Amino acid sequence: MSEMISINKLPTRTWNRLSVNDAKIAWDEENTALLADTDIQCAHGRSPSPVRLSLSDGGASFTRKRVRLSVPQNSSVKVFVDCRPENSFNTILDLTVGKNSDVKLALRAEPSHGGICVNKTTVRCDENAKVEMITLLVGDGDVYLDNLAELVGDNSLLKSDIAYIGCGGQAVDMNVVVNHFGKNTKSEINAAGALKDSAKKVFRGSIDFKKGSSGSVGAENETVLMLGDNVVNKTVPLILCAEENVDGSHGATIGELDRDTLFYFESRGIDKETAENIMARAAVERLAHLVNDEEFSDEILHAIDRKLGTEGENDNAV
Amino acid sequence: MNNIKEKSRIEDIDRSIYDIKDEEHDAFRMEEGLTPEIVEKLSDEKNDPEWMRLFRQRSLRIYNEMRIPDWGPSIDGLDIDHIASYVRPNTKMQNDWKNVPQDIKDTFDRLGIPQAERKSLAGVGAQYDSELVYHNVKREVAAEGVVYTDMESALNSEYADMVRKHFMKLVTPNDHKFAALHGAVWSGGSFVYVPKGVHLSIPLQSYFRLNAKGAGQFEHTLIILDEDSSLHFIEGCSAPKYNVANLHAGCVELYVGKNAKLRYSTIENWSKNMYNLNTKRAVVEEGGTIEWISGSFGSHVGCLYPMSILKGNGSKMEFTGVTFAGNGQNLDTGAKVVHVGENTSSYMNTRSISKDGGISTFRSSVVVEKSAKGAKSSVSCQSLMLDSQSRSDTVPVMDIRTKDAAVGHEAKIGSISGDAIFYLMSRGMSEEDARALIVSGFADNVSKELPVEYAVEMNNLIRLEMKGSIG
Repeated sequence: MSEMISINKLPTRTWNRLSVNDAKIAWDEENTALLADTDIQCAHGRSPSPVRLSLSDGGASFTRKRVRLSVPQNSSVKVFVDCRPENSFNTILDLTVGKNSDVKLALRAEPSHGGICVNKTTVRCDENAKVEMITLLVGDGDVYLDNLAELVGDNSLLKSDIAYIGCGGQAVDMNVVVNHFGKNTKSEINAAGALKDSAKKVFRGSIDFKKGSSGSVGAENETVLMLGDNVVNKTVPLILCAEENVDGSHGATIGELDRDTLFYFESRGIDKETAENIMARAAVERLAHLVNDEEFSDEILHAIDRKLGTEGENDNAV
Repeated sequence: MNNIKEKSRIEDIDRSIYDIKDEEHDAFRMEEGLTPEIVEKLSDEKNDPEWMRLFRQRSLRIYNEMRIPDWGPSIDGLDIDHIASYVRPNTKMQNDWKNVPQDIKDTFDRLGIPQAERKSLAGVGAQYDSELVYHNVKREVAAEGVVYTDMESALNSEYADMVRKHFMKLVTPNDHKFAALHGAVWSGGSFVYVPKGVHLSIPLQSYFRLNAKGAGQFEHTLIILDEDSSLHFIEGCSAPKYNVANLHAGCVELYVGKNAKLRYSTIENWSKNMYNLNTKRAVVEEGGTIEWISGSFGSHVGCLYPMSILKGNGSKMEFTGVTFAGNGQNLDTGAKVVHVGENTSSYMNTRSISKDGGISTFRSSVVVEKSAKGAKSSVSCQSLMLDSQSRSDTVPVMDIRTKDAAVGHEAKIGSISGDAIFYLMSRGMSEEDARALIVSGFADNVSKELPVEYAVEMNNLIRLEMKGSIG
């Protein structure tokens, strides 16, 4: 029996009538199939090949899978996570990054139409640890993304880039929280995407400077391209601050394709619809290239082209 | 160079002007608590018309049914069973300061109200506890058809129908628990009507003083601007500090007509035992403009988010605010705007300062409805942390439902730059003065929008707040 559960909670609540304090989804906890946990202990030093995880539900209506990934001190690793459920799939990824280590984590969430991807990623960074997260939300189903980063060690860093395209009646719901505990920690959150048709998107980004995190810097930025007459965009960029000597900032730009950009395209014989598709694709394409893995990037870009109906038009760009 | 990294010890504000307590010579003080009988008794005291009597009782029922909000600062220290909802001073409303009882007149003299009236105001209303003790409007302003009177008089005047048509229609008792409380026990406040085509070149001002210990103040301000008119309305408030909670749950409803322009300025300086749970809202018709200027300095807990509904095409809103949260203060302030009409625009520009353990939260919402084609909105908030005992949060929300809108938001939290202090000190300024100057400059978005007398008062408040020894 499904019940409405609350996920993607804001660290501090605001007006209930805005419906951004959390996301509510139907979930049948009793009948959730639990897939075996995966524990990965990365080797010390620079990993010659990336860790690749392909996660999919086992056909049950509700499935949960937990992955624990531990990166020791003075190590470097790339992690690719593919998540392509057909039903309701809850993935939990716990990442622990040791002193002086760096991790590049690329996550692709691509639920099928009717599927729901509920991803929870927790990152803990020790001293001088650096994590770069690239998240691409490219499926046709609803996506719920809940990222929590704990910058515990001094001089640790998190950079989170998210790109998405919402089409049809799709829900894209994101909650990114970075807790700065250590001194001189840094965070950067960037979200960019496009909404078409009657897609609904919520982006919650929270930078929380805890007491003692002096010298820390946090910045978040969001760009939303509104392309549909019935789209709904909600943006909630929080900065919470209990420390004097910090620097936090956020910015957001929300709107349709501006006239100058449109004029630029039209002056080159590109019509409005094609221009909008190019711009919608651009946010994802930029991140796909940042991943710096041809196989992963190709799949992302093909997924986007399938979604936008532009297959074959961008082959040279891949 | 090392010296500038040392901390200033920043003292609490010198509130001597505001903290002088008058002996209580009330003509009537309602028993504490909130029951149907108390509300009925208040209706008797106020000689309410029947519709208002019923309205109060309905509001009380809504109040009892509603829960306290599960967000924002804690109001656990507020016990409504220990608040007297109505305290009538020992005088009727006067239109000449000479007739106001000496102790009350002295209080308003200290606050500079009669002087300001003589110098730069078109009219003044002065409320002491639950009732207005003075109300006057310049003859030439009244001659233009401007109505500026207390709410009770308006309820029983030729404007009674206008009051009934607008009273708590914009902020309904169902809005939130303290709006319902206001509907049940409101008293005092001002009614303003500016006729079509009338432009007031100098402001009107209402000042609210709460002297009674353990009391609530629930004044209602209703302003109606007819087509193509304009007004600057200034609201000030203060209270002496007691060791028990006081409550302010006023309500401001502003109706801005077609092509009309209203500027609503507030310098709030309640004492630090005050729970300031005020509700302010404006609806703006086609081509109209609402401008909010807001300085929040006082209160123990403050929740204040003036809301603008941009209903008419081409209507505009600007909100300029500064909040200064010191020791023992939790000030949750900001603004809300709803874009309904086409080509509407809104701009919020705020500054928050936290020091000595104070908590300052900037909270906002920008809602652009599907109908608001061509809407533009921009929000800019900056916060300054003066020490690590304090807290500063920003909690903005944007809800955009049309693609044909341009919405921008920027926020920044930081501390005073050591380089800036060094620069000023190298030119002979003390560190204390350098910090005060930087904070005053940080808050100049508000002070430059106020009439000069009020800007001076605001800057004095900041300077006093920043006074301290270097240690």
